[in-house]
Amino acid sequence: MNAPIVLSAKDVHVSRSGTAVLGGVSFDIVDRTREGAVTGQVVCILGPSGVGKTTLLRVLAGLDAPDAGAVTGVAGAPLVAGDVGLVFQDYPLIAHRTVRDNVVLAGTLRGLSGPKLEARADELLARVGLVAQASLFPAQLSGGQRQRAAIAQQLVVPRRLLLLDEPFSGLDPAALAGISELVVAVANEHDLNTVVIVTHDVRAALRVSDTVIILGRGAKGGGARVIETIDLCARGIAWGEGDDAARARIEREITERLTS
Amino acid sequence: MVSAVVPFDAKRIPRAHTLAFAAAWIVLAVVAWALAPVRTLPGPSEVLGALSRLWWEGGLGPELFQTVRLIAEATLVSAALSLGVAWSVTVPALRPLVRGLSKLRFLGLTGLVFPFTLAFGGGHGLKVALLVFGMSTFLVTQVARIVDEIPRAELDLMRVLGASRARTMWEVVVRGTLDKTLDAVRQNVAMGWSMITMVEGISRAEGGLGAMLLNQNKHFKLAEVYAILAVVLAVGLLIDLGMGALEAALCPHTRLTRSQS
Repeated sequence: MNAPIVLSAKDVHVSRSGTAVLGGVSFDIVDRTREGAVTGQVVCILGPSGVGKTTLLRVLAGLDAPDAGAVTGVAGAPLVAGDVGLVFQDYPLIAHRTVRDNVVLAGTLRGLSGPKLEARADELLARVGLVAQASLFPAQLSGGQRQRAAIAQQLVVPRRLLLLDEPFSGLDPAALAGISELVVAVANEHDLNTVVIVTHDVRAALRVSDTVIILGRGAKGGGARVIETIDLCARGIAWGEGDDAARARIEREITERLTS
Repeated sequence: MVSAVVPFDAKRIPRAHTLAFAAAWIVLAVVAWALAPVRTLPGPSEVLGALSRLWWEGGLGPELFQTVRLIAEATLVSAALSLGVAWSVTVPALRPLVRGLSKLRFLGLTGLVFPFTLAFGGGHGLKVALLVFGMSTFLVTQVARIVDEIPRAELDLMRVLGASRARTMWEVVVRGTLDKTLDAVRQNVAMGWSMITMVEGISRAEGGLGAMLLNQNKHFKLAEVYAILAVVLAVGLLIDLGMGALEAALCPHTRLTRSQS
């Protein structure tokens, strides 16, 4: 029996001001399974700057409707804004609310309230290491802290699909390791959880993902399409498996693909 | 102290030093005023004497109360109307209307006195209407621009969090821009305050500082005129200080944002 599809894009086209940005993006993400372990999916979408990665992410989040094509989630359900978590590249938060209030607000908007929500907010802040910053305003946080607050905000209500736009940009090695660990942990909370990361950092992508999707425009130009999907489980380097040499080989392969 | 004369170092100067500089400039201005060889203006002691006479014998207190009441009323009405209009810039069909109303700021008040008198019957209503018109057209422009400049990411965030449009309107547009809106209202009050003596002069029946100023001017009582102007300036500064305190109390995050920008 085939593994169920948890995220699917079918021939997605998007144009901006008459210029094709996405020219028929298609892919299927299947439910990964590992014996004896709850395993979600971590998918990295790689591509050169300006190729349309963020445009694709907005379509996946339900923020923008594609001109043609469709995206669906678990059991073929359409993806609607509000049902998909999205951490934006510059981590916007509600500036007049404290970090804790930002997290609580996210729960309130999804119908949670009372001590249960308060406890969930505190638990998430502890998980992302922001207990000491809970009563601070976003303007008082560093970039890395804002990112973690934004992630906590998206996690307050469990959602099967979480999208992250360039989460590895500008992070120091410790923060990079921390965010990588958090991404994998979030994905592995439920078999049907899927984290999709848009990045141009090949090495960081290989550290966390089980599937890499490479976007490119191809020789004929036009909108971006999937030029290759790499199953890292099949290549033996997902989930921390495989050796550094294998990982380096695939990193070179992807880099060549991106620069060719 | 060295950095006090170096450009771009203002933020590194302790607040006490800044206050000391301000006090020094005020003292310098008063000394220059007292020692000025040209005697076209009354001296500080004459103005102080006139101020004392106006306060104790000339009814300056009640007139000041009238003027403050007028600006408060005009500000409340102007803010209520302007914010409602400016926030509706988020609705595409209403955008041209908001833009059109904002363009009315180029109309002068003088030509409007006659139609406004017909509409509001003179007296207090006329003064409030003129001030509200003069203030609102600018406030609509400022607040509509604030709303237009809301980053798309903030609106997208609310959609991602599953917020309704009404909640997004409250959280991002109304509450989210409250600091900037209060700042715009603060500038607007200053603008209204600078117009108030002129407006009170148009209809003197209720009195107020404007009517008092014109009466003193008519009799060439320059010391009294400058005493009233000094009161206008001082009360204007106090109102501005109060608005600043209100903004700081309602939007504590603003100072943090500004201090880090």
